[in-house]
Amino acid sequence: MSNPDQSRMKQDCENQRECMEMLQLIVDGEASSEQKEHFLKHHLEECMPCYKNYHLEVAIRQLLKSKCSGQAPQELVDSIKSKVIQNLAH
Amino acid sequence: MELEEEAPKQHYSDEEKQNIFNNEFMPHINSMYNFAYRLTLDQDDSKDLVQDTYLKSYRFIDSFQKGTNAKAWLFRILKNSFINDYRKKSKEPSKVDYQEVESYYNSEEVDRQITPDLRVEALKDMIGDEISNALNALDVDFRTVIILCDLEGFKYDEMAKILDIPIGTVRSRLHRARNLLKEKLSEYAKTMGYKTA
Repeated sequence: MSNPDQSRMKQDCENQRECMEMLQLIVDGEASSEQKEHFLKHHLEECMPCYKNYHLEVAIRQLLKSKCSGQAPQELVDSIKSKVIQNLAH
Repeated sequence: MELEEEAPKQHYSDEEKQNIFNNEFMPHINSMYNFAYRLTLDQDDSKDLVQDTYLKSYRFIDSFQKGTNAKAWLFRILKNSFINDYRKKSKEPSKVDYQEVESYYNSEEVDRQITPDLRVEALKDMIGDEISNALNALDVDFRTVIILCDLEGFKYDEMAKILDIPIGTVRSRLHRARNLLKEKLSEYAKTMGYKTA
């Protein structure tokens, strides 16, 4: 996506609800390529609220991924493996 | 146990079982632990939950078909174990009336754009536990869909199977969950001095 000229963008979106739904489909990887093309290449270039919402959604996901993942403790991994091996022996 | 109902049953040799377990199940241990932790919000409970889930997955391994999505299969077992064994004893109200919660969040009240001015710049300053706390503060059903979708990258149809709900419900629940998360984040942004008016 290019960097649109913000001064020429619409400040209000008349289809905000539908746009939010489309935007979620896109960030969730559920939109078709036509839908993506239309929304990302055409609508976002001219609509300020959707442009902002899109970047906000993307940023929240990045933050979630960087801050909310975790690693299983090694003792847990070891304990599961040894229990399964015991199980096999029976 | 519903896992047994899922046909057709396989008949793996011990060696095959061990291969599946090691190569298809164990690689998801970090995601599974994180999911368990976000559900129970307790480290000991999450370890128990993950261990129970893995032992169950081994016990019912003949219900797993090679080549299908092992991660989704494991997540479904974990979620069912959580509901059956942990949710009852957790500190949350023993029975969350989900219908009630959902109809509230489906009302027009919550449907307006709650936080139009939460900004990307404010998120960039959330370098601590803000997002994690915001996520944990959501009702468990809303927390769950965000984890499955945004963290683990499950598709809507996979989430529908894991959670035993229709795809339409997955989508509406996700929509509400994200609005609520933004609302929490916006509160943090305010305390950090960002104007959200």
